[in-house]
Amino acid sequence: MCGIAGVVYKDKKLHPVGSDMTKMLDALQHRGPDSAGFSIYGGLGLEENEYLLNIEIKERPGILETVKEIIRVVSPIKEDEIIPSVEDYIIYRCTISLKSFSQLKPLILDIDKIEDVIVLNGSHSFEMIKDIGYVMDIAERYDTWSKKGTHAIGHTRFSTESIVDRYHAHPFQSYIVPDITVVHNGQITNYWNIRDPLERKGHIFETNNDTECIVHYIADKLSHDYSLEEALEQSVKDMDGPYAYVVGTPNGVGIAKDQLGLRAGVMVENDDVFAIASEEVALREVIDTTYVEQIAPGDVRVYEI
Amino acid sequence: MVISMRQVEIDAEAKNPREINRELKTLAKEYDRIILKNPNAKHYLAAGLTSPVELVIEGSAGYFVGTMIDQPFIKVKGNVGWFAGDNMTQGKLIIEGSAGDGAGQGIYGGTVVVKNDAGSRTGEIMKHGTVIVGGNSGFMSGIFMMGGPIIVLGDIGEDAGESIIRGTIYVLGDIKSLGKNAQTLEINEADITDLKEILSTYGFHLEDDQYNQFKKIVPRSKRPFYGPESEEG
Repeated sequence: MCGIAGVVYKDKKLHPVGSDMTKMLDALQHRGPDSAGFSIYGGLGLEENEYLLNIEIKERPGILETVKEIIRVVSPIKEDEIIPSVEDYIIYRCTISLKSFSQLKPLILDIDKIEDVIVLNGSHSFEMIKDIGYVMDIAERYDTWSKKGTHAIGHTRFSTESIVDRYHAHPFQSYIVPDITVVHNGQITNYWNIRDPLERKGHIFETNNDTECIVHYIADKLSHDYSLEEALEQSVKDMDGPYAYVVGTPNGVGIAKDQLGLRAGVMVENDDVFAIASEEVALREVIDTTYVEQIAPGDVRVYEI
Repeated sequence: MVISMRQVEIDAEAKNPREINRELKTLAKEYDRIILKNPNAKHYLAAGLTSPVELVIEGSAGYFVGTMIDQPFIKVKGNVGWFAGDNMTQGKLIIEGSAGDGAGQGIYGGTVVVKNDAGSRTGEIMKHGTVIVGGNSGFMSGIFMMGGPIIVLGDIGEDAGESIIRGTIYVLGDIKSLGKNAQTLEINEADITDLKEILSTYGFHLEDDQYNQFKKIVPRSKRPFYGPESEEG
């Protein structure tokens, strides 16, 4: 089933979006117990060309040093921390500096070659937090309550077609353009028709998960000067199946629903906040309103700051 | 002799839907009116409630509010999620706000009223009963409906009455497009009489000339999938 959500503060200032999204996802916990995740935009405060790496590492002697050695080939490690997770894994987070964004994906691929290591994401303008288990456990583990930002997207996962682990938790990220992430509820039934042209262009797929396919599709469109709204509208024409998905970019969020409206999506906004979610119960965590708009089949909504 | 109404309140804040519904069913045997506070858009509220009790939900409800009810009069003072009143057989479900998809799905009887807008597939596969939407109703409203009227006071979305088998959809606003097996007819005096009676009962008071503006969507064929040679062709 899955729960999806997004929230944007219209004044472009920092707000407690980590806390907002935690409450929204907890309200959507019943839609998916397997994993949960956040993309919290605007609050990292990194210098130009700095990136935050988020790496899952199985706890065994020497492996963390190997990861650091590979990173140091291309960048000094400016700051780092270790966050304990579950099932003998840790999350190693470090800030690095690259000459350009184009170095990020090759570095991630190099790190991924180490056994029992996978890079969950690398970002400049947002912080991704995702893990297996319940929202409140993850919130406590990563202190999502304290995270500030301008906007955020989030997800609670009820897995259907792919395995339950940290990497397959949403959001998924593409590196075709910087800092684009997607959370998704549904299935893309013409998956291979969407994936094949993207792969022929050279875009790298790490999984067979259809959410990864969506994020590469949207990123590819953005790289060809589509606006976010145009990219979402085109996706509704190109993608079959029951789905609703939310995109996060450095500038805002958007939602698209399939043409038969087979997955849920509602929205609400006032002068200060724009919010979208699978259900009203999540919207009510950020806006006290009596009016909720049902997003129509095939419709898209975007709010950019 | 004055008979006073027996009324009770439930606070739903810390309860899950199963606990709320168990309490509702117990209290409905003793009380005439139940006020449900802090519903916070929880799912399945009042599912399977089969007593002639009045239930006031003081806020929004989630999916399947009033599913499989028989007899109660439920008023929701907020919005509802998907499938409000699903498969109900008797009673009334009055929604003061808006509804998600599938309001009145599969109802066998009773009345579902949505004061504002409804989402897609309103009244899908309904067999009998009445569904009223005070605002707009979305995509494929009345899909596979087999009986009862749907009354829409706003616009109706694409593919209205898709594969409609029985029943009538009355639309005061615009019809974006018709679904397969649906056609529009002019309304007649009998339709207007029925509409006046139904709408005034639920607090919708239209001017007389507005009734003449209703369009009526009905099936082209009662047996669209089996052809005119079938038993009811």
